[in-house]
Amino acid sequence: MSEKIVISPTSRQEGHAELVMEVDDEGIVTKGRYFSITPVRGLEKMVTGKAPETAPVFCQRICGVCPVPHTLASVEAIDDSLDVDLPKSAKLLRELTLSASNLNSHAIHHFLIATDIVPEELFATAVNSVGEIRKTAQYVVDMVAGEGIHPSDVRVGGMARNISELARRKLYTRLKALVPKVNAHVDLILDLVEKKGFPKGLGVVNQPLFASANIYGDRNFFDLDRFTEIMPESWYDDPEVGKRACTTIPLFDGVNVEAGPRARAAKFRGFTEKGVIAQHVSRALEMKTYLSRAIEILDELDTSAPTLADVDFRGTNKLGVGAIEAPRGLDVHLAQVVDGKVGFYSALVPTTWNIPTMGTATEGFHHEWGAHVIRAYDPCLSCATHVMVVDDEDKSVVKDEMVRI
Amino acid sequence: MVLGTYKDAICARATDKSIQKVSQDGGIVTALLSYALDEKIIEGAVVAGPTEEMFKPEPLVALTSDEIISAAGTKYTFSPNVWALKLAVRQYGLEKVGTVAIPCQLMGIRKMQSYPFSTRFLADKIKFVVGIFCMENFPYASLETFINEKMHSSMDMTLKMDIGKGKFWAYTDEEELSIPLKETHGYEQAGCNICKDYTAELSDVSTGSVGAPDGWSTVLSRTENGKSIFDKAVEAGLIETKPMDSVKPGLGILEKLSDGKKTKAVDEIKKRVEMGLPVPF
Repeated sequence: MSEKIVISPTSRQEGHAELVMEVDDEGIVTKGRYFSITPVRGLEKMVTGKAPETAPVFCQRICGVCPVPHTLASVEAIDDSLDVDLPKSAKLLRELTLSASNLNSHAIHHFLIATDIVPEELFATAVNSVGEIRKTAQYVVDMVAGEGIHPSDVRVGGMARNISELARRKLYTRLKALVPKVNAHVDLILDLVEKKGFPKGLGVVNQPLFASANIYGDRNFFDLDRFTEIMPESWYDDPEVGKRACTTIPLFDGVNVEAGPRARAAKFRGFTEKGVIAQHVSRALEMKTYLSRAIEILDELDTSAPTLADVDFRGTNKLGVGAIEAPRGLDVHLAQVVDGKVGFYSALVPTTWNIPTMGTATEGFHHEWGAHVIRAYDPCLSCATHVMVVDDEDKSVVKDEMVRI
Repeated sequence: MVLGTYKDAICARATDKSIQKVSQDGGIVTALLSYALDEKIIEGAVVAGPTEEMFKPEPLVALTSDEIISAAGTKYTFSPNVWALKLAVRQYGLEKVGTVAIPCQLMGIRKMQSYPFSTRFLADKIKFVVGIFCMENFPYASLETFINEKMHSSMDMTLKMDIGKGKFWAYTDEEELSIPLKETHGYEQAGCNICKDYTAELSDVSTGSVGAPDGWSTVLSRTENGKSIFDKAVEAGLIETKPMDSVKPGLGILEKLSDGKKTKAVDEIKKRVEMGLPVPF
């Protein structure tokens, strides 16, 4: 006799989603379905027809959790469409911005899972540690990109300006001083994850790794010919779920994939573990990767070099690709500039890639672990929503009238 | 309260000859910001820096005394220093910032510090603001009109501009040119006519020539912080002082001008309100 367990909305994640699990008599999940119920943002439609430099300014506001990756993916898509050759310093400053921002974002996730893994006597220590890392990491974004949340100085063609030598030395010193703190933080998290006693094999999936680069992102990885997008009705075998799901299902080579810290670690850092523990471990360890890259960039940055290329905003009709490794996975923005205006725009965002994979990852274990599996992916639904609820009464998304944006 | 709140009024000038040579009057702004920088009270200052065009300033984030000195001397047109404050704490990486501002800019700075919308982490980093007395400010084209058309000279030939003794002055290598101040009326920024602040009442320390003898400045120390920096700069021998009541023309003229600006502004505000025009205060 199968029973249905529904968690709605799933908690301690950004945006709203639902986890529907079919369980057997022992409470073991036999079928897991995870889907977004977050209202649509619609920013891709808003930027269409506008000047190309508008796109990053608008699209960074898709969400306040990943504003930096969205800014970078958007600006890189426009850069690519306009065939801009970025100055070396601009590339470094952008990568520095992302490294610091992702370090900050991973720290936030430890705050979100604190009630899952941190015992009461260590709670203050763990939360303060998160706060301290975030403060320094966001200070880097503030200085380099102009604003910590919606950076104003990431521009089509590079960065608005270089940082001063004083700022470079300050940031270098502060990030160096942060190394022991991040090391201690990572040790703490790894220890707590181990002590939590997640069942062996929880959350293990064997989907292809969707990761383009170790740190920044590589647009060459995203081959549009290998990408397809299907509607939730044809993916979820539960019509009720298919009707209410607010995201399309993106497939690469015809299958759903896994994106995020574990995918990057497995593809680029020789990491072999899988499942919930592996997600937490790889995310924590990745904080060290970001911090050391940020320090390395500050060491080699030439603060007197130009950061902004000359840009011809008329456009070449080329479909530009911006591919940025956001905290939760690869964030792809596609943009086509036609006659000086954005003609086409689409964002294929990190959590969208993981949504079809996360539900099935709950299968084979007791449903009480379901929410832990979901949180291990650190889902963020705000940017993932791409279809619109047309009936407010029953929250349904009518297939034929689906707004695809 | 015609001069706003202040702790001390004193007549002063910078002792450093290299500052005296380039400064408008007593060199107080330059001396104070340089002192604050050297003493690490600030890490840098946003000043009205020079550009390729004479008397057309541009905000400069000065990180050395030399850069501060390069911005000495009054430019009678706008330098949007408030705009560069954010730049100073972002890409320049300053955590303790000083700046020089005219009254309207000070209103913006203090308002921004009270309500830091879109100026996150900026309000607390402004550590020292020197205000300058200001009756009005001219668009650059107005200055060109005075120099080129009314005085038949050129901006390039002009070494210094000044306002005093009822006249607008322009000094070249050979001549002292002037026009009566009333000929400049109507050329100022429209906002100046509704501004009630002559003596930069919201500053930490404000200064200007009025009330002091030639080559000296009147200084009003307004806040604890401002007074402390000024007093220490005096103690360090960077600024010399005379009691205000020992000099001519003295504080009376400053009070008279300040009162005049307030009265005229109130009249103009009334007039604009009657016409249904928006008035910011």
